[in-house]
Parts: sequence; structure tokens; C-alpha cells
Amino acid sequence: MGFLKYILRNVSRNKLRSLLTALSVGICLAMMTVLYGFITLNDALIPELAAANRMIVMSRDGFTSSIPITVLDHVKRLDGVQSVVPLTWYLGVYRDEKMPSFAQLATDPKELLKVWFEFRLDPDQLQAWQDDRTGCIVDRRNAARYDWNVGDSIRLKGNNYSVDLELTVRGIYDGPEFINDLYFHWEYLDQELRSRNDPKAGTASILFVRAKSEKVMDQLCEQVDQRYENSDHPTLTQSHQAFAQMFTKFAGNLQVYIRNIGLAVVFSLTLVAGNAMAMSMRERTTEIALLKAIGFSRGLVLIMVLGESMAISLLGGVFGVGTGRVVWSTVHYFWPTFVPMDFIAPVVLVSGVAVAAGVGLVSGILPAVRASRLSVIDGLRRVV
Amino acid sequence: MIPVKYNLRSLRIRWVTTLLTALFTGLLVCASVFVFGLVDGLMNAFNVSSDELKLIVLRNGATEEIGSQIDGARARELGSVLESEGIATDSKGRVMSSPEQLTILTKPRRGDTIAVNLGVRGVSDMGPSLRPGFEIVKGRMFEPGKYEAITSPSIAERFQNCGLGEELTINNRPFRIVGLFKASGSVAESEVWTPVADLQAARKTPNFITSVVMMARDEAAKQRLIARIEDDEQFGLEVKDEKEYFQEQVKAVAVIRGIGYGLAMFLSIGAMFGAANTMYAAVAGRAREIGTLRALGFSRFSVLMSFLFESIALCLLGGIVGCLGTLPFNGMSSGTSISFNEVTFSFNFGPRVLLQGALLALTLGLLGGLFPAIRAVRMNIVRALREV
Repeated sequence: MGFLKYILRNVSRNKLRSLLTALSVGICLAMMTVLYGFITLNDALIPELAAANRMIVMSRDGFTSSIPITVLDHVKRLDGVQSVVPLTWYLGVYRDEKMPSFAQLATDPKELLKVWFEFRLDPDQLQAWQDDRTGCIVDRRNAARYDWNVGDSIRLKGNNYSVDLELTVRGIYDGPEFINDLYFHWEYLDQELRSRNDPKAGTASILFVRAKSEKVMDQLCEQVDQRYENSDHPTLTQSHQAFAQMFTKFAGNLQVYIRNIGLAVVFSLTLVAGNAMAMSMRERTTEIALLKAIGFSRGLVLIMVLGESMAISLLGGVFGVGTGRVVWSTVHYFWPTFVPMDFIAPVVLVSGVAVAAGVGLVSGILPAVRASRLSVIDGLRRVV
Repeated sequence: MIPVKYNLRSLRIRWVTTLLTALFTGLLVCASVFVFGLVDGLMNAFNVSSDELKLIVLRNGATEEIGSQIDGARARELGSVLESEGIATDSKGRVMSSPEQLTILTKPRRGDTIAVNLGVRGVSDMGPSLRPGFEIVKGRMFEPGKYEAITSPSIAERFQNCGLGEELTINNRPFRIVGLFKASGSVAESEVWTPVADLQAARKTPNFITSVVMMARDEAAKQRLIARIEDDEQFGLEVKDEKEYFQEQVKAVAVIRGIGYGLAMFLSIGAMFGAANTMYAAVAGRAREIGTLRALGFSRFSVLMSFLFESIALCLLGGIVGCLGTLPFNGMSSGTSISFNEVTFSFNFGPRVLLQGALLALTLGLLGGLFPAIRAVRMNIVRALREV
């Protein structure tokens, strides 16, 4: 115990130096925590998605193309399909906003909650939504953000579609954290499009399918795609998690760059910490010689120096990862479009602290070995 | 003034510390400059794309080409109707107006199985002349009616089935890539181009146009065109200045830029603390020297300046090494998705970016050295001289 105390005393001896080193490690790690939180966010959700047996049917040409609604009738009749809904991204602009800030999806109110079975919606509100052709349901967090209550009207300006919508909030649902969409009647949008002779009438962006069990999913995907292989509108059917993975891929090389920058940062932090430790040791040469003279073994001196170096880096690491986490939540609160979820994968946080410990260990090795090898006579004689 | 030589020799005598400090500042500056170069390259892709006199016509209310739809007959008509209003003509006297269809396919990048977005643009004969610096660098131009396509070397390199001689399938119809083009690094280089009629036929969307790109004769003509198109209820169209249009797109890049600059700032603060550590040790270790200098009559100001200079020299050394370290990546082509569009860009470590890096190093040397230098100045001469 006394030994640990000795190490901590040494840490706080040159307070300014320890603080600067810890802050250097901390600030860089805070930044890396946020960046890694960002690039791992999508992947972190994937295991969660896998449990629900959901699949997505989209055009082979990509999800910005659409598929005819007739595909839905076909998919619905397939064995192993529990329920299926159309989803059309309306991408409208709310009020005076310049760009769409939340997703609005045209869907089938009768079936939606069978596919998104996690949604919690009051049965009366569900009924009210189903009965109102221009009704919609909104996510609770968005409702709070825009101050929407049941009965309020929401006016959306068509951006992707030539139709403007006037919707009435009929229900407020609680969904998984990564969902903040507004859902409204596909029929309503389609009728408006039809009356304008819009070529997009009679189509959906994607179909969202819930399979009866995990086992039938692969087969179902194949079945759907084979059916439309040689049609005018070939489809691409994949599991919800594969669909989500596609979004991770969008970032392209950016991910690789961020990882490489992370490596460079870890390396330079090791140099920062090593430099500070080496300076401390140089100043304490006489003292270490004295310790050895009174009987401290080489191993003990080694551990002492390594312990000090690790303690400083760990201090910085814990501070940095903590700061990064707080920054993440703050950004999520103020700009939910950048940081859609108040969640960083625990593995990112743990790695951050582990990296700090590693930096402390590696940076301490050279000064520690030097100190342990120091000849008592030379050390005592040397005037620093 | 204390001679500069004094600082340089001090740096040399403590060469291990000097080297370590220069190395970590260098690495952190290098990482920052890398990000600056990335952002600069990305911005460049959008900036060279825009031309003062170019206009993009979209459906009324659409903010992007995707999501806009215009009847093909009306789009063609637009060129002839508006010719008198001031659309420019090329050397052969043809009206510079190009009805185009942009669609986004999902295709896998090379070495990958998961598909990502890839823009395919059906262009008219006028399409190439409307892009600054358009030239075929390999192969030849496509011939209409033969289901041929051209793309940029960077897309060819990055996407499966997009290489010269390969076949890209669009709605079950193979398009042979017959040529590779460049367009001065603009966003056009992020797309695959086919004749518009072939794309319409393959996608079974006859008469479907997403936008009309046109070139105005001069500034006055541009204003006339804008007024004419927007006032005409019959058209139901909206016209955007190309510069303005890309400005909207650049907003998405601004997010990346914000993140990049934030990253650089954090890393610099980290490096600054490290440099401050080195300078504090230098000041503490040279207390006697500082005392002597002061006793010899050097003013507080010259001591302050001397230590600041030392700190800046130290960090600049690292900064220069860091900047040089990014040069091998200059021009490296890369791609990412900006609002769901694959955008390819080249890293750009031009003078401006390198200057930013050097300024960063200078700033962190200045700030990192300031407090240690102040400590040196505040030293009591007598006590400093007594120090061992």
C-alpha cells in the first residue's frame, strides 16, 4: 500500500507536468472517442436489428428508385411472410426549414405495427390514425422537439414529390431510439399523385417485411428476387441488418482515414507521455540512485516508474473518454441530425481507456529501464 | 536581444527532448493537415463544378436533381423557346441546353459485396460542352443508341463493372464502358454518363428528365432566363444558379469540414500541452542560465522573446516535418457519400493547406511556449543564480 502511495506522490510532485500530460492524452482521446463513436454507431445497431426477422425489398437499382406496389401483393402471399408494409420516403420540408430534418414515411397504418412490433402506441390513437386518411403518427422525441400534440396539423412541402401534404397528428408512439420518423397513409399520397398523373403513383420506395422465423429469411429473399429477375423492375431483397450495413459503407474511405488518424494520435501521445516521463526521471536521477543505495531492487524501481507513467495516462484517459461521452450527449441534444442516438458502443469507451493504459505502459518502458539500470555510484555523483 | 544561436544550441544539446517534441507535434500537425487536405479536395470537387453563367432547371419545389422530374418534351422545348432569351450557342451554333436524367444506382465498390450509391447521368450531345475541362482521357466517347457509357478514371478504379471495357448493368440492360473522361476534378467525375435516350430506354422511363442544364450568354441574359422560367406558370419549373445549387450541396460537406477542423483543434491543443511540458522543463533546467542572462543585463522582454522563439522553432520544426509527411498523399483519389451520392475527390495539399499546417504549428508553439516563457521572466535573479 505504501508503495502505491509513493507512486501517487510522485505523480503529484510536478503537478503541472502531470496535468499537462494527462490533459494532452485526455483531449486527444476525447476527440477519438467521439469520432469512433460516429463510425461505429451504425454497426453497433446491427446485432439489435438481427433479432426482429425483418427484411427489405427494394429496387435492384437502389433505394432511391422505386418499386411497383404490385410487388407487395405478391410478397404478402408468400409462405413465411408474417406481414409487409410499403414505405415511401416523402422527404418533405417542414415549415421554414431548408432541408428535410426528419423522415416522413408513407405506409399502411393497418399493418405497420405488425412489422414494427416494438412501437408502443395507444390503441385508441392507432384506431384514430387508421380512420383518418390524412392522419399521421409521430415519434415522442420529435413531438417534444417540435411541440406537437394529438390534433395538431403538420404541413409538409413536397421536395422529392410534387405534392404538398397537410397531415393531422393522431398518435404519438414510442419506438427504438434510432427511429424518429413520421408515418402517414400511403393511400393518401398515392391518390394525390394519381390525380396529378405523376409517374411515381402506384410505387413504393421499399417494402418492409417481417418473416415468421429467421430460418425462412434467406429463402424468402431468393424467392422474391427470382420472381422479378427478368421483369421491368428487378428487386433486391435483403435482411434489415444487411440494409443497415449498406449505410455504413457509404462513408467509404473516411472510416479508414479516421482509423489511421487514430493510430497516428496514439503514437504521438506515447511520445508526449514518454517525453514527460523521461524529463521527470532525468531530474530525479540522484533520488533514484539513493533509492537503490538503500536497497530498492531493480524490479521495484522499474515498476515504480511504470506505475507512475500509467497512472498519469490513465488519469488522462478516463478524463478524455468521459469528456468524449459528455460531448457526444451534448451534440445529440442540440443537433440530433448529426448524432442520431445518445449511445456510444461500450467497446469504444473501454478501448479508449485501454489505449490510455497502453500509452502509459509503452511510454514508461524506456525511462523505467533506464532508471532501473542506473548505476548507484554514477547517479549519486551526478549533479543535475 | 539574446542571439538566436543560444536557442538553437540549447535545442541541440537536449536533442532527445527536442526530437521527441518535434516528432509528436509533427505527427499531430500531419494528421490535421491530412484532414485539411481532404476537406480542401472535397470542396474543390464542388467549387470547380460551378460556373457563373450556368443554370440548372428543376421541377418547382425540388431542391435536388434526384426528386425532380420534368416532362421530356417540355425539356427539349425549353431550349428552343428560350433561345431568344439568351441561351449561349456553341461554335457550331447549337443551343447550349442539355436535358438530363440523373439516377442513383446501388453498385458494389471493388473488393466489396455490399452495394453503395453510384450516380448515373443520361446526357444529351450538349452535356460534355457544359462541363468545364471535359475531355476523354482513354477510350472514346459513347455513341447514342448502342447502350454505351463513359465514366471517370476514379470511378472506374473504385467501382466493380465500371472499368474500361466492362459492362455495367442498369435495370437488366448491360452498358459497355467505352471511355474514361475527366472534367477538372468536378463532381461530374463522380458519375457514369450514358446518352439520355439509352438510359430512359433501359430504365423504361421514356420522357423522364430530372433537370435541364443550360448556359447563359452573359449575366444579363442569365437574369432574363431566370425571370422568364420562374414567371411562367405553365412551365412549373424552378431555376437555380449553378453556384447557388452547389452551395446547397456544399452544406453537407460543411459538416465534414466542421468535424475536420474540430479534430485539428483538439489535436493541436493536445500537442500544445505536450510542447508546454517540454518548455517548462527547459525553463526549470536552465534557471541559472536565465539568471545569468538577466544579470548580464538582458531585459525581461528579450528573455521572453528568446523562450517564445525557442518554442516556436521547436514546433515549426515538427510542423514542417508533418506537412512534408502529407505530400506523398497529394492527389490521392478517394470517395465518400455526400447526402447519399458517391462523390469522388482528390486530396489536395496545395500551398494554402500547407500554410494552414505551418500556421497551426506556429500557433501551438506560441501558445505552448507562452506560459513557460512568462515563468522564465518572473524568476527572481538572485534566487535563479543560486539554483543548482
